[in-house]
Amino acid sequence: MSGRNQGSSLLLLTLALGFALTLMPLPTVVEPARPYWVAMILVYWNLETGRLRFLGQAFVLGLLLDLMTGTLLGQHALGLVILVFLLERFRNRIRFFPPWQQAMAVFVLLLNERIIQLWVILLGGHGWPVWTWWLAPVIAMLLWPWLFLLIDALRRRQRLLRS
Amino acid sequence: MPGSAYSSVSAGDLAGRTARLMAYVLLAVVLMTLDFRGRHVERARALAFSLAEPIFLVVESPFRFAVSLRDNVRDYQVLLAERDQLERALRESEARQLLLGELVEENAEMRELLDASLRLDSRFLTAELRNIDLNPYSHRVFINRGLRHGVRPGLAVIESAGVVGQVDQVATRSATVILLSDPDHALPVRVQRTGLRTIGYGSGRIDELRLTDLPMNVDLEPGDVLVTSGLGGRFPAGLPVAEVAEVQRPSGEAFAVAKARPLARLGSIRQLLVIELEAPGPLPGVVPVAGDDAVDEISEDEP
Repeated sequence: MSGRNQGSSLLLLTLALGFALTLMPLPTVVEPARPYWVAMILVYWNLETGRLRFLGQAFVLGLLLDLMTGTLLGQHALGLVILVFLLERFRNRIRFFPPWQQAMAVFVLLLNERIIQLWVILLGGHGWPVWTWWLAPVIAMLLWPWLFLLIDALRRRQRLLRS
Repeated sequence: MPGSAYSSVSAGDLAGRTARLMAYVLLAVVLMTLDFRGRHVERARALAFSLAEPIFLVVESPFRFAVSLRDNVRDYQVLLAERDQLERALRESEARQLLLGELVEENAEMRELLDASLRLDSRFLTAELRNIDLNPYSHRVFINRGLRHGVRPGLAVIESAGVVGQVDQVATRSATVILLSDPDHALPVRVQRTGLRTIGYGSGRIDELRLTDLPMNVDLEPGDVLVTSGLGGRFPAGLPVAEVAEVQRPSGEAFAVAKARPLARLGSIRQLLVIELEAPGPLPGVVPVAGDDAVDEISEDEP
């Protein structure tokens, strides 16, 4: 059981960083292509440690994101719940993929999430997003191996410090 | 052992999970509908916003630090040049204000002659955008003035080029401003050239307003300037809003529609002015305490 509690602070820290990166100001041109940091961090913890596996957790995270970024309440929550559900379905396969294949899986998951968001955006009467908006999953895919290695290294260090 | 507990997913497990997925999806859709249609979750949202304010401040702090660092190391000569330029601009606007002052007096006399009672006094509050990016589809910006500075929901927000929007949610030191371009936003406007009164609706695009319900024979041309009509009671009359870009008269439809381009640079504003309207009091010289109720009753431009 101690294994579950270990790294709780690191989990919260990475999530907080994810939120900060989501709110960080970017130039208007690249703003739509901002990768979905919170989802990537969620996927990491889900795959590697089996935490944040409950749909309820994803829902709450999504609601927080909605409140923070001022979208319709439930928009991010919907996307994240579906993402966690799909991730759970294929978790045992994705876990043992080599990093580049894992990145592809992350790309597909995030692309699916974008399509759900698009549906909500269109229903809300906002019109089609700019084309750079579709770059976000691609950028997330390119960043995935590095994010993976970074959090892995942080976790290893923390484990060493504990022992 | 955590490893074995979730190594395999049984069929019953999957069914349960699917059921839970459906429940959450339904919940999300209901929430979105409530938020979009009835705005029933407004209060919860406002509460959560003021609770989340410290987080915004923490996220913003490194960027604020970077800006102050840049300000500190700026070249002395550059600053001097900038000061000269600003001084010139100030003198110019002072001269213009002198002329305006006379006009204001003249206007007041005229109004007295006409016995017009609707006269709104206003105060300005300068505000700056916080270094926080909200979702571009929320059509909101985040400013560094809040309850503490006297900002209240519904106040008009402008910049030097024109109307920006109105205050949406207020926390202690910050507030969100809903932009003109939000699909939920409607603003009573007047065509400067002809005096025609209509309503400008947000289109969901940052560079476009829509005028619908125009009569087919409307006298409107590209290039016409739209100003606020002051009818909603929230915006002072006569502020520039947008320039008509295109007028369409689709055959077979009952109304003509027009597209207009907002004059304010909604996508790249940094400095804003919040206008504190004081509702027309019963007696001159009596300052209304809040002035909120009177304004709310006649307002048409709910965000």
